[in-house]
Amino acid sequence: MKFLKYILIVTILFFAKEESEAQCIPSDHVKTCIPKLVGGFSFLKSYEINGRDGRLEKVEYSYPFAKGTQYMVNICSADGGNQGLVVTLYDASRKQLATSVMNGQQLSAIVFNCQSTGIYYITYTFDNSTSYCGGSALGFKR
Amino acid sequence: MKNYLPFLLITAVLWLVSCNSDKKDEADAFITELEGATEAPAISEETINDILMQIPSPLEISMLMRESGAEYDRTILSDPDNVSKFNTTFKRAINLGIYGTDLMYTNIFSQNQEGLSYIKAVKELADDLNIGQFFDLRLVGRLATNNNNLDSLMLITTQNFNSINRYLQETKRANLSILFLVGGWMEAVHINCQMSIGNPEITALAERIGEQKMILENIMLLMSFYAENDSKSGISELYEDMKQLKVAYANIQITYTYAEPTTEIIDGILMIKDNSKSTVHITPENVIEIDSAINIIRNKLTS
Repeated sequence: MKFLKYILIVTILFFAKEESEAQCIPSDHVKTCIPKLVGGFSFLKSYEINGRDGRLEKVEYSYPFAKGTQYMVNICSADGGNQGLVVTLYDASRKQLATSVMNGQQLSAIVFNCQSTGIYYITYTFDNSTSYCGGSALGFKR
Repeated sequence: MKNYLPFLLITAVLWLVSCNSDKKDEADAFITELEGATEAPAISEETINDILMQIPSPLEISMLMRESGAEYDRTILSDPDNVSKFNTTFKRAINLGIYGTDLMYTNIFSQNQEGLSYIKAVKELADDLNIGQFFDLRLVGRLATNNNNLDSLMLITTQNFNSINRYLQETKRANLSILFLVGGWMEAVHINCQMSIGNPEITALAERIGEQKMILENIMLLMSFYAENDSKSGISELYEDMKQLKVAYANIQITYTYAEPTTEIIDGILMIKDNSKSTVHITPENVIEIDSAINIIRNKLTS
């Protein structure tokens, strides 16, 4: 009887671990985000956000932004909106330029009107997220 | 102890099963890496991917050309009929990038018929590199034959190239990803130079060429890691050739002045106004020098 109990517990633990790791499919959220690049922005890059169940504090990407170009970065979380995900933009010297949480409001996108060419860092963090999972799209227009 | 024995055995079996799939992935990656004929560089995969992400999409540069008022010029593009000449992995990967940029250029200027030749060339090279599954020839071809589908065509093309790039990195073939991205980037700079030489009054084109100095520095850094370990795949030779391009860029100066950005929320979107300024100091002579250096490399790659 004890033997059967062991089998049951270990099997449950094994599959529970596999299941929790398989839950985050950022590519699905990326697909949601790309059509949300509205207002004449052309799609450039997509970014997958997988916080590995909270084990990662942030997910970061970088991209060269060019002077005279506007860039939109949007975020799509597992709830279908943007709750729990925060995007923050840093310049090449790691100075924070802006974040999508303003006055307690979680915004779904940021638009950066670039006047200085350089490498910029797009950082995704989690704020009261339960899924630690999402996607994002980067678009541009001149 | 006796009571725990079955528990330990089952745990061990499940652990082995779990590890087995990881090991299979590792084995596949190892074989793929061997096929790549390039030793892994002494930097982390994360660093490689970080630098690769900083190579701009040719789409942005091509869009600037159209919006600046420069006219389409087919003679500056690589000949799509040369595909059969590219019979090494190195040449296929780098020319996939070159044709990819040419395809975007034809797309942006709505040159549908010529675009189809590049779609075919891209598909052929992608198939040769075993990444053809990311390029839906029928869909892209259909979109390309109708000017009203430009946005969809650009979206699908960009998505396809992003997928190819991601796949190469995920399957530990970052060396091919580098070639693909460098080829695309170099072709974009080449087209930009040609258009700038023909339209020197459009200063935005020359500025964009100058801005590529920071990208070139990253590319050179990345290639240096591979060149150290590589003697077969062609990266080390390309790296040596690109040193001349670096020399041509040495006179370009970029100045940067920081100022706090200002923000406002409009319709639920945070609008950030950049108050910093960057200035590129580049002359028409500098553009000609960069163009010459690129042409020498490009002629070797596309012949």
